[in-house]
Amino acid sequence: MSAPIIEARIALAIARKDAVAELRGRHATVSTLFFAAIVLLLFGFALGPDSARLADAAPGLLWLAVVFAGVLAVNRLHLLETDDGALEQLALYPVPRRAIYAGKALGGVAVMLVLGLVVLGAVGVLFAVDIGSAWAPLLATVVLGAIGIGAVGTFYAAVTVRLRAREVMLPLLMLPVLAPLLLGAVKATAAALAGDPFGELGAWLQLLAAFDVIMIVAGAATYGYLLEDG
Amino acid sequence: MDVPSFAPFASSMPQTIYVSPRSLGAPDTRPPSVDTTDLSRLFAGSPALAGVSLRIEAGRTVALLGPNGAGKTTLLRILATAIRPSYGTARVDGLDLDRDAGAVRARVSYLSHATGLYDDLTARENLEFAAVMLATPDVATRVRRALDDVGLANRADDRVREFSAGMRKRLAMGRILLGNASLVLLDEPYAALDADGMSLVDQLLSAWHEVGVSVVIASHTTDRLDQYLDGRVTLGRGLVATVSGDGVNSTQPSLIRNARRPAAQPIR
Repeated sequence: MSAPIIEARIALAIARKDAVAELRGRHATVSTLFFAAIVLLLFGFALGPDSARLADAAPGLLWLAVVFAGVLAVNRLHLLETDDGALEQLALYPVPRRAIYAGKALGGVAVMLVLGLVVLGAVGVLFAVDIGSAWAPLLATVVLGAIGIGAVGTFYAAVTVRLRAREVMLPLLMLPVLAPLLLGAVKATAAALAGDPFGELGAWLQLLAAFDVIMIVAGAATYGYLLEDG
Repeated sequence: MDVPSFAPFASSMPQTIYVSPRSLGAPDTRPPSVDTTDLSRLFAGSPALAGVSLRIEAGRTVALLGPNGAGKTTLLRILATAIRPSYGTARVDGLDLDRDAGAVRARVSYLSHATGLYDDLTARENLEFAAVMLATPDVATRVRRALDDVGLANRADDRVREFSAGMRKRLAMGRILLGNASLVLLDEPYAALDADGMSLVDQLLSAWHEVGVSVVIASHTTDRLDQYLDGRVTLGRGLVATVSGDGVNSTQPSLIRNARRPAAQPIR
């Protein structure tokens, strides 16, 4: 087998292992979905009953809920690796570090994709936003956003997974880095929902794609150093 | 390679254990399994290892002895590439741990106090995952064989979360059987094991010795190990205090009374 196929096989094995553990333990999805729902409801209460105001704010609320819940989700996914020295064992396997990163990121992206689609649906229902008429650009935005949050989260979760204060440190590190993604995703979502009157949707999606590529390359190149314990 | 046979120690243990060493060649023609020079490791400024120069020839089974805090686990973790040394150099099978870490990982199996298992996966799933990561051929057969060898075939589809500490350790030993190591590092391998589990360790030590795999065992005592050992290294305060036996030597066995920070530059 060629090297890329071997690395893909390793990455899929890691992602599959995470998926099986997640389906059994529900470490990441259930708690983060509830968290995202609560965030949406609280934003709704804070903004009041004015439906036009809620619809205007919907893109921002959607992505704030996804990003906040995403921080929780990637942290929970990496906590799997703290089972009885599992992270150290993972680092000791004779496999390329970028394949380990790819596997962990795949799991993170999958969870973020589920989270993003569910929250998008919830925003449509709670804030009376018509997401059906712009489903294709909204789906593209959610996919690109999920990839970006998964890629960044996988990197920073490995940075903080051994720290006692990881629940505090992870958002402190992750959220500033996700600012460009948040901006791009909110603008793309708003443009999609408005029917893209100014033709800016493509530029925002390109920004999201560029962000994803940069974060994936940086994460794959440096993840090996994060796996080492000092 | 022929599979060595052993008399079973207990009814639940298998008749033979399959170990799969790489094509090792004659021990005399191979580079030393372990070769360290002034190996040191600091934790928060305090030396856990303070300049260990140690050479273990290929194919030997060596005990690493010493009291708590002597540096046994630190030395094993450096050799496994789990941590980097602060100073000094180390080679495994002639490969530098810093420059050739990937190749070293393919030659070393490490059983630490932690088992490295996933609680929400079954025993079989844990080993299947390890088999993919270790590029083990014929995964299904080898995993079945490994589960049988460590006496867990009847619990193969139970989640590891339900396992006792001893069963977890057996499963971690099953993971080692899937690999292709020329050097096995064991940290207190008998800890948490029942009589059958200890017999399993005995059988593994015999099997590895027979096929020429080097084994380094960190332990407080050698009571049970004596019959398998080629040599002994005693650590004290992060230094080699004494060495004895065949195929193991140190260039500085008397430094324990003069422990000081090495002059070499830190690696990072």
